[in-house]
Amino acid sequence: MDLKLIQRLIAMMKRAGVAELDVEDPATGLKVRVVREGAPGTSTAPVVHVLQGGGPGPAHYGYAPAPFGGALVAPTEAAKPAQAGTPFQSPMVGTFYRSASPEAEPFASVGLRVGPETTICIIEAMKVMNEIKAETSGVITAVLAESGEPVEFGQPLFLIES
Amino acid sequence: MFRRVLIANRGEIAQRIIRACRELSIETVAVYSTADEGAIYLRQADETICIGPGPSAKSYLSIPAIIAAAEVADADAIHPGYGFLSENEHFAEVCRACKIHFIGPEPETIAKLGDKVAARELAHAAGVPIVPGSDGPVEDEQEAMAVAQQIGFPVMIKAAAGGGGRGMRIARNEPSLVTGYHAAKSEAQAAFGDGTVYLEKFVENPRHIEVQILADKYGNIVHLGERDCSIQRRHQKLVEESPSPSLTPELRARICESAVKVARQANYTNAGTVEFLLARDGSYYFIEVNARIQVEHPVTELVTGIDLIQQQLRIAAGEKLGFTQSQIEFRGHAIECRINAEDPEKDFQPSPGKIELFVPPGGPGVRLDSHCYSGYRIPPNYDSMIGKLLVHRPRRDLAIKTMLRALDEFVIEGVKTTIPLQRSVLSHSDFRAGDHDTGFVERYYGHHPAIPTSGDSR
Repeated sequence: MDLKLIQRLIAMMKRAGVAELDVEDPATGLKVRVVREGAPGTSTAPVVHVLQGGGPGPAHYGYAPAPFGGALVAPTEAAKPAQAGTPFQSPMVGTFYRSASPEAEPFASVGLRVGPETTICIIEAMKVMNEIKAETSGVITAVLAESGEPVEFGQPLFLIES
Repeated sequence: MFRRVLIANRGEIAQRIIRACRELSIETVAVYSTADEGAIYLRQADETICIGPGPSAKSYLSIPAIIAAAEVADADAIHPGYGFLSENEHFAEVCRACKIHFIGPEPETIAKLGDKVAARELAHAAGVPIVPGSDGPVEDEQEAMAVAQQIGFPVMIKAAAGGGGRGMRIARNEPSLVTGYHAAKSEAQAAFGDGTVYLEKFVENPRHIEVQILADKYGNIVHLGERDCSIQRRHQKLVEESPSPSLTPELRARICESAVKVARQANYTNAGTVEFLLARDGSYYFIEVNARIQVEHPVTELVTGIDLIQQQLRIAAGEKLGFTQSQIEFRGHAIECRINAEDPEKDFQPSPGKIELFVPPGGPGVRLDSHCYSGYRIPPNYDSMIGKLLVHRPRRDLAIKTMLRALDEFVIEGVKTTIPLQRSVLSHSDFRAGDHDTGFVERYYGHHPAIPTSGDSR
């Protein structure tokens, strides 16, 4: 689960004076409980328990708008056991697309052998579809973001094993 | 009111905007570069988005990255802060095209005021005194000479697109005018891609007086008094205060009224600052309009009790000004010292690095706007500001005492700072007498910038 998301949950809890918070993602079965130890109203550092699912997935997090501080778009493929490979980080902020159109095949799926010039995804920023190249040679071992998901600069999008 | 505001800036001003938004119950989206990753002020935002690497051109100055972040975060407005994209009319236009409110003036206003020749003409048309000079661009050497002879030496040659002292030359006689003209022109061409220059009379050692303006979208314009920013080092302000010790009530009323006239002529909206030069004889001249919130805005907040960032948000969201000119009350005296991570012993070179210990001052009458803390690493990529230390007291002499006390309390270890210089300035008899001008720092610290406090009556 993403550290930043947990940090934000903690900030929200502190602000609202919430002592305990369960977060569940139905898609993956990932459950996290954040508990602030001590009496309510104290500012003791919260403790994070991963109840089930998850595992040490790569940093991953979505930005869908929500009434307070964003929705909890939890990992899908990210929830699988850790994969070998080097993270391919997003070169820009924008919306991630795995294929050129909703009907088209994804540019890159697990198992695909890529070269430096292979287009592996599209990131849309300001209505411009930017084709993103792998810039390295290897095999895709994991896809860490979902089509249509907002991504930030430096966010891992794929794992590529050389 | 806006639901969600993206802050296209960093450091203390990003934190300042987050504070204003939270008090107005507006959600905040803070964008950051990898150089600012982990900074604590980011935790105060409801959402953070990394927009690029350390160099500003690829992060805080990248219009596509910031607009993309605003789109994915579903922000309905962008606050640009100061510096970076705050006075970039193209950015304001892109915001408008993307249906995102830009918290500032309209792009047309930014463009007009950003062109110094156009701004000068505008002020002149509003009946506001301008520094005597050429009535527009100077086309050649002969024309420059004719203008200089008419207005009298010394004269200043300035780039129309200029800023920060670039494309600027002072000429005290005819030979230096010829060389200065060509030097300014080529410097302007290289720096701004526009070699247009104009000429004006050089006002020797003036005082720098600026007037804070607020204007809503319905033609209501008020001023919030002046700030005296005469303590500068190479056009970088070091100490700002309000009210100015050099204005009589009569002169203050005229200069503030002039500022309102300029704003009205420009169809100005949102917060802005009209800058003037004040000569020793009491004559004053319009210089330019800063079409953004300024670093030293808290000085005005302290004497008026008006939160300028909240006003910016309200105005941009289409609210009417909630007060009239006569309802604005001015109380006491406020002083701001800019605390920068700079080494006075090395000609004020930036001194980035890790702040090992940070103990902020406090107590009655003290305000500190800073994003720093013990363990904070000042990135080398951006400006060197650590924070703005402000005091507010009933009288100027009391404010100076409180500032000296606060500067003494302020502990910053690990990086060099301007605190010793600030202490020295605040202790100086010219400053205490209110008899300083923009030549003060060069005059007293030009050759020995690291002068420690002289033990002068603290």
